[in-house]
Amino acid sequence: MTPSAALEIVTRFGTFTVDQDAVVTFAHGLPGFERCRRFVLVSAPALDPFTCLHGIDGSEPSFLTLDPQRIVPGFQMPLGDADRRRLELAGSETLLWLAVVHIDDAAARVNLKAPIVINPRRMVGLQVMNADTLYAADHPLDRD
Amino acid sequence: MLVFTRRRDEAIVIGDGIEVRVLRTGKDAVRIGVTAAHDVPVHRREVYDAVRAANQSAAAVPVASLGQIAGRVRLHPLLEPVE
Repeated sequence: MTPSAALEIVTRFGTFTVDQDAVVTFAHGLPGFERCRRFVLVSAPALDPFTCLHGIDGSEPSFLTLDPQRIVPGFQMPLGDADRRRLELAGSETLLWLAVVHIDDAAARVNLKAPIVINPRRMVGLQVMNADTLYAADHPLDRD
Repeated sequence: MLVFTRRRDEAIVIGDGIEVRVLRTGKDAVRIGVTAAHDVPVHRREVYDAVRAANQSAAAVPVASLGQIAGRVRLHPLLEPVE
């Protein structure tokens, strides 16, 4: 197997190099960025503790994300049958969950209501939209 | 916009294979069933719009706030699975 080429990813948070194998496909993009289907996950000391989810199609949106388990220990979000099929889940694969960070009223918040979930085995992802969840879309990050 | 009058248990078909059926009607609400291939996402409008607005705001988080947030955020350690 030939080694996969590296991708240079230019985000507003800096320029990073990621492996081409690190591309995750979102078949329908993300709400608000429907035309961006391919994203990469960037972890780097300069971004710590965040992981940057950066789109590499079109307008190239960049998001700061956190593992929701590090915000609410025990965080769990049920997946419906359609989402499980879209994620190409065969059984009980370990999934990668990301909560998107935004700033509202000068406070940092994370969207736990609509987390992003990735199946690392298939490198496909989606944003879960569950109207019934009790997790907040604007869960505060500041604990002061 | 195409407008139809449908009675209970009647449906419309969109494209090849998306069906929208009226299951129950009430005074202020209608119960609707959507049948579509699993690769066609179906969402409530207001839920989708709220996620879109949150994503657009998240994609505009300024670079300067990265350090500010990183310094203030308190995260729980990730628990290692116990064998």
